[in-house]
Amino acid sequence: MVNGLNLLFQFLDSFAFIVLAAAGLAIIFGIMGVINLAHGEFIMVGAYATTLANIRAGLPLPAAMLVGVLVTAGFGLVVERVVISGTVPNALSQRFLGRKVIEPLYDRLADSMVATWGLSLIMVQGVRITLGNSLDQIGTPLGNIAYSGFSYSTYRVMLAAVALGVLALTYYVFTRTEYGMRARATIQDEDTARALGVDTERTYMTTFAIGSGLAGLTGALYAPTITMVPGLGSSFLVEAFVAVVVGGPSVVLGTTLAGGLLGAINATVSNVLGTFFGRIALLVTAIVMIRFLPDGITGFVETLRERRQEGA
Amino acid sequence: MATETSGAGPADAGDSGALAGLRSRFEGPNTVGNSRGFWVGFLVAVLALAAYPFVVGSYQASRFSLFLVYAFLGLSLSVVWGYAGVLSFGQVVFFGVAGYTFGVVSVNFATPAGITGAFLVGVFGGALMAFVLGYFMIYGGVRNVYVTIITLVSTLVLHTFMAQTAGDEWTIGEAALGGFNGMPTIPNLAFGVGGASITFSSMTFYYLVLGLLVATYLGLRALVNSDYGRVMVAVREDEDRTRMFGYDVERVKLAVFTLGGALAGLSGVLYAAWGNYMSPGVFELTFASLPVIWVSVGGRKTLLGAVTATVGIEFLRNSLGGELAFVIVGVLLLVFILGLPGGIVPWVHRTYVEMRSDGATPEPPEASAEVSD
Amino acid sequence: MSTNQDASGGPNVRQTAAELATGDRTDTLLQTEDLRKEFGGFTATDEVDFSVAEGELRCLIGPNGAGKSTLLNLVTGTYDASGGSIYYDGHDVTDLDPHQRVRKGISMKFQVPSVYGDLTVRENARLPIQRFADGDERRRRVDDAIEAAGLAGYEHVDASQLSHGQQQQLEIGMAAALEPDLLLLDEPVAGLDVAEREAIAERVTRLNEAEGIAFVVIEHDTEFVANIADEVTVLHNGEIFREGPIEAIESDPEVQRIYLGGEH
Repeated sequence: MVNGLNLLFQFLDSFAFIVLAAAGLAIIFGIMGVINLAHGEFIMVGAYATTLANIRAGLPLPAAMLVGVLVTAGFGLVVERVVISGTVPNALSQRFLGRKVIEPLYDRLADSMVATWGLSLIMVQGVRITLGNSLDQIGTPLGNIAYSGFSYSTYRVMLAAVALGVLALTYYVFTRTEYGMRARATIQDEDTARALGVDTERTYMTTFAIGSGLAGLTGALYAPTITMVPGLGSSFLVEAFVAVVVGGPSVVLGTTLAGGLLGAINATVSNVLGTFFGRIALLVTAIVMIRFLPDGITGFVETLRERRQEGA
Repeated sequence: MATETSGAGPADAGDSGALAGLRSRFEGPNTVGNSRGFWVGFLVAVLALAAYPFVVGSYQASRFSLFLVYAFLGLSLSVVWGYAGVLSFGQVVFFGVAGYTFGVVSVNFATPAGITGAFLVGVFGGALMAFVLGYFMIYGGVRNVYVTIITLVSTLVLHTFMAQTAGDEWTIGEAALGGFNGMPTIPNLAFGVGGASITFSSMTFYYLVLGLLVATYLGLRALVNSDYGRVMVAVREDEDRTRMFGYDVERVKLAVFTLGGALAGLSGVLYAAWGNYMSPGVFELTFASLPVIWVSVGGRKTLLGAVTATVGIEFLRNSLGGELAFVIVGVLLLVFILGLPGGIVPWVHRTYVEMRSDGATPEPPEASAEVSD
Repeated sequence: MSTNQDASGGPNVRQTAAELATGDRTDTLLQTEDLRKEFGGFTATDEVDFSVAEGELRCLIGPNGAGKSTLLNLVTGTYDASGGSIYYDGHDVTDLDPHQRVRKGISMKFQVPSVYGDLTVRENARLPIQRFADGDERRRRVDDAIEAAGLAGYEHVDASQLSHGQQQQLEIGMAAALEPDLLLLDEPVAGLDVAEREAIAERVTRLNEAEGIAFVVIEHDTEFVANIADEVTVLHNGEIFREGPIEAIESDPEVQRIYLGGEH
């Protein structure tokens, strides 16, 4: 039974990791059709900001985490204005050259991947140059759950509860707030939404800021438990990426299901064969899922549901 | 962007019939440079590259040959992405698999004949891997954007896998895969059998790679300007339409993807022989993204763009060294994909053409007629 | 009569207008049996038996959503049938891929003009022709195709720069250059002015009479349809509602009613 408990903890840890890594990316991908390959670096910004606020500025951990979230959200806003929509460069070029120079990256999946990849390179190296190869470490709070020879970090298991909380919060935002309505209208049909008076530009801006904020939250939450190096984002990126694609178009349900499936596979294989093979199993599962369910789990469920209904 | 040829054809006096006929195989709307001026420049460039080792010495030349090796990798992505429309983040998968295969075979059979065999097996391995992965995706009806994602994830699978091959059990014959430490003591490239063989190192390696690159470049030029090349471009532009002209689009995409795998594999084998070393670092995301950067900056729809940007950017990266290099590369990538998504070489070409025609009387139809139909 | 080697190696013999005039329309070129297509719970095509004879010029009309484009897409293989079969020139093509059907002699012009925008007119025209001819023969055929589309002098213009009508002409020309026996046109005159419509009508009629190509044309313009059609098929709710010569269809009150709605 001890091993079963260990497996459970590994699953919760993995589930939390995947969901928290994916949440911000899923929102941005779902609403804006942009694949942000710098997502891992946004998480890094949150982690770094939190660590600096906690260790250098002496803020208590929860406050430091809040700082992390806000800094990342703000950074996301800047990136959205400059890189994703190109509004700022275009405004400048309009003034000096009389024309726009940049096309927005919305719905340009391949181009957005390439552009945000460039951004991530700049961010990683930029941080490395300014803050060095590693940063001080915040200690992991809450100690360990210990049981007959095994122990597991309480904090990391608790993050599973936080992950569920984030999902619930996202669900709330998308279904109960005005922003959420606008965002969902824009996902459905941007032109119609605009014709109905939705300020799609503002919606995109807010969306990217929220997605970045969530990435910042993930960074803030994991800052006490991972090594603070500039490249820390890359261990989040892949899981996030893969979960978003496997999850499908429904942001909340898709991320939850993908987190559950991939987390379970990762945990199970890791338990038996070690973490390397756990990761490989997760990635291979993702490849197979993408090949056979290209619209993700929730996309597939949608298709099934449509088949049972009558109607055009 | 199929700009008509500038100053080519019958109006370009001074070319004998045979020479013009030969040139026509390598010219067309799918590549940049369709005039005598271009070919003269090309010849000058090749000669300059041939003279380079004598100017800078064999050590520098040897370092430079790495960039020439990478050019094959850049070409492989250009062919697959620029000419068939499939963005693959996974060319390094075939690069790495071929390199490791070459390593394993050549360490076990360290004779010239064995190494020649290793070379062939390595390149074939890259092509085969591309064929298998390509078949799985393309005949599975996976849309292009998900092909990108799957190739990206495949790179990571290989990285994770190779990184954990540190233990002794991960040894094939005499060759230990070595995990993060990599596989050292890969022999130099050699062709031939026993006494009648050449082993390439330093200067001879440089000339081998240069020769292979020129031959490959010309071969690809001929391919993309041929009927088949036009079908490739049509597939890139509009798959459904091309299907309705009777072309088996899936077969074209798979064939091109496999060719890309062979080119990437060739690059990988040369890389392994150049450094006498292979490591899982070739499967890292940072390296996997380099081909995308080279080709985005240079112009993915042109072969010349792929080659010049690869060599140029790698030379730059190497000269700057360290972290600053990556920042600059990142900035380059951002600026180009946002402001000049077509890449440098097509833009230069367009500007040059515009400058030459000057906005004066438009060229009469005969003068700008394509050399071949 | 002209012959055309198809993928199965046998010649396809087409009937001339003269043979048609004598009522010698014996050969059925296209035949669907119980053809069905469902999207989710929605039946777009419902047990359709649709047939076209060699050299015939058929128009396919019906209110929006009747399933006209769906039927054409089923014939080309762009959509997989949910049930039923499709016979072409005596062969069962139901399981063939689109490009294989094209090689048997079916060709199509899409509803939205789909020329290759970044390629020149000449490069566009060459693509379907390059499979059939080389060298000088090819050059001649490409010249002919460009001229027939009324685009002589536009050879080196990017196709995206052409007007809507010119693009339609180019695309019809490209589809015809495949030397098909059956050419499907999905709304060839949508968005064109009167002169352009006449030019297309003339072109279609000429291709039909001189080359014996059978046509299935989806169009809403009744004048255009009356101008060119031998026979008309009316689709409604995915089924064949009426078939017959244009005069009969035009005066049929039932047909008028389904266009005005309310009919189920």
